[in-house]
Amino acid sequence: MSKDLNINVKHVTRVEGHGNIVVDAKNGKIEKCEWQVPEAPRFFEAMVRGLDYTDIQTVVSRICGICSITHSLAATKAIEDALDIEVSEQADKLRILMHYSEQLQSHTLHVGYLAVPDFFGAPSVVPLVPKATEEVLAIVRAHRVANEWSDLIAGRTTHPVTLIPGGLTKIPTEQQLRDQQAVLKDTLKDLAAIAEATLSVAANIPDFERDTEYVSITHPDVYTFYHGDITSQDAKENVHIRDWESVANEYVHPQSTAKWCKWNRSEYACGALARFNNNADQLTDNSKALAKTFGLEKGCCNPYMNTIAQLIECVHIVETSIQLIDELLTTGLKAETVKTTGKAGKGSGCVEAPRGILFHTYEFDKNGKCVGANCCIPTNQNHANIQADFEKLVPEIIDEGEDAVRQKMEMLVRSYDPCISCSTHMLNVDFV
Amino acid sequence: MKKDTIVIGLGNLIMTDEGIGCTIVGHFSAHSDDWPGIEFIDGGTGGMNLLHMLAGRKKVVIIDCAKMSEEPGTMKRFAPDQVKSIKQLSHYSLHEVDILKVIQMAEQLGSSPEEVIIYGIEPEKIEFGRGLTETLSARLSGYIKQVTKDIC
Repeated sequence: MSKDLNINVKHVTRVEGHGNIVVDAKNGKIEKCEWQVPEAPRFFEAMVRGLDYTDIQTVVSRICGICSITHSLAATKAIEDALDIEVSEQADKLRILMHYSEQLQSHTLHVGYLAVPDFFGAPSVVPLVPKATEEVLAIVRAHRVANEWSDLIAGRTTHPVTLIPGGLTKIPTEQQLRDQQAVLKDTLKDLAAIAEATLSVAANIPDFERDTEYVSITHPDVYTFYHGDITSQDAKENVHIRDWESVANEYVHPQSTAKWCKWNRSEYACGALARFNNNADQLTDNSKALAKTFGLEKGCCNPYMNTIAQLIECVHIVETSIQLIDELLTTGLKAETVKTTGKAGKGSGCVEAPRGILFHTYEFDKNGKCVGANCCIPTNQNHANIQADFEKLVPEIIDEGEDAVRQKMEMLVRSYDPCISCSTHMLNVDFV
Repeated sequence: MKKDTIVIGLGNLIMTDEGIGCTIVGHFSAHSDDWPGIEFIDGGTGGMNLLHMLAGRKKVVIIDCAKMSEEPGTMKRFAPDQVKSIKQLSHYSLHEVDILKVIQMAEQLGSSPEEVIIYGIEPEKIEFGRGLTETLSARLSGYIKQVTKDIC
């Protein structure tokens, strides 16, 4: 096999940034191996300046169509931190349910529609429909359940409308929660079918490892996506979310218009595998058993296994939500009125997006108008790690030829479930 | 019970003309009492979520910003099979979705509506910012009138 490689996978359009893969090798010597991210800089931080604290959520919920609940929650938590706004236990639990619904939406989409088709050797889920109709239908059903669940608690499938500083504008009825719980119990069967189909092709998951730092939030009581401090296996002590900038250490890199991040090493990874590596002991028993089936153990440093960690999280999320609904129904739902006022302050919010840890910070003047904002998305935190993976992966597989190298590099990027090109979805068509 | 007809506005309200679909559907939602048999949804940039919005419908009207090599502000009405997508997809991310591909998947899964109508509106500017350009906002009532013909 030739040891020359010339891979130039470019996906650049005017406003939709995509990642580019560029590899140049001659006689087995790698001259260039780069993950380039020409993502257009995002100006939403400037866009929220001058807005009242009650209006910020409507803008940040539009940053992303997949993580809109997560962005809204991170922003709302940051606003509440800045303005010393308390949230009731009931609202907190409902928000966690809302957040879980988005995790399930996103994970089923990523696992089912984007990543697992790789293990089947298919370019996307579409060609799999005739071959594996039942499995695809299980994915579609699980995704639909997650969407309707978001709709119930967030008021919409995407871009939530019920979330406000201090609580929620609308809560579901007890009967709606009971119905949702029954649907979630059925979803566990679909998740089992998806897991079985994934397991049947798990041998095709590339065998690649690179030790790196895994960053996520952590909480003493639960496998957390919502509350907690920042941790990694390298951290001497956990870091409060207000100090997230000392973790992310954002810097400008010539390969990217998006900022890169590093903490205790020259790069770090966030996402489902990071959460699993830091918090796996707190998963439900069935999620732990599923991890074992896939041979996924704490300390795994195969980035392709991020997809499997997402699948395991799906089971954990659904089981934990069933329990959380039980708790809410036992206590009984109460209508709550939220009253807040603006004042000066600065605060931060941090939650786990499906694809990794997300930070928001806002500062307000005495009238509660925003005077400063900062946001650090998980995909940016993974860029340096993807680059470091490329640098170890390509020399290891260079003998497999250009097509195989390109395929494994593309699969690697996909396994991180990156958030790129998400702010615009317009059509681009020729008439036939 | 799902309504037979759904009108879906797609796009992003913080990306200037990208938000045209959401803006138009927002108008209809504000007057939804006039249209009891029709559901109006601001689909935002939810991508694959559209698959579930299509399922179980007879008629779907999609309104979206579209690069069609037309003059900015031009609105065109077409069926999915009248166009071919030239959108570049990297397939790296869930965050890029071609609505035409979602419709294709719905067809394969047997959940495609009997009729899908797409209204594409050529943007003048797509960049971070709230509100449409003057070119599009000046023609808003005309767009609404056009879409109304399809749901009367």
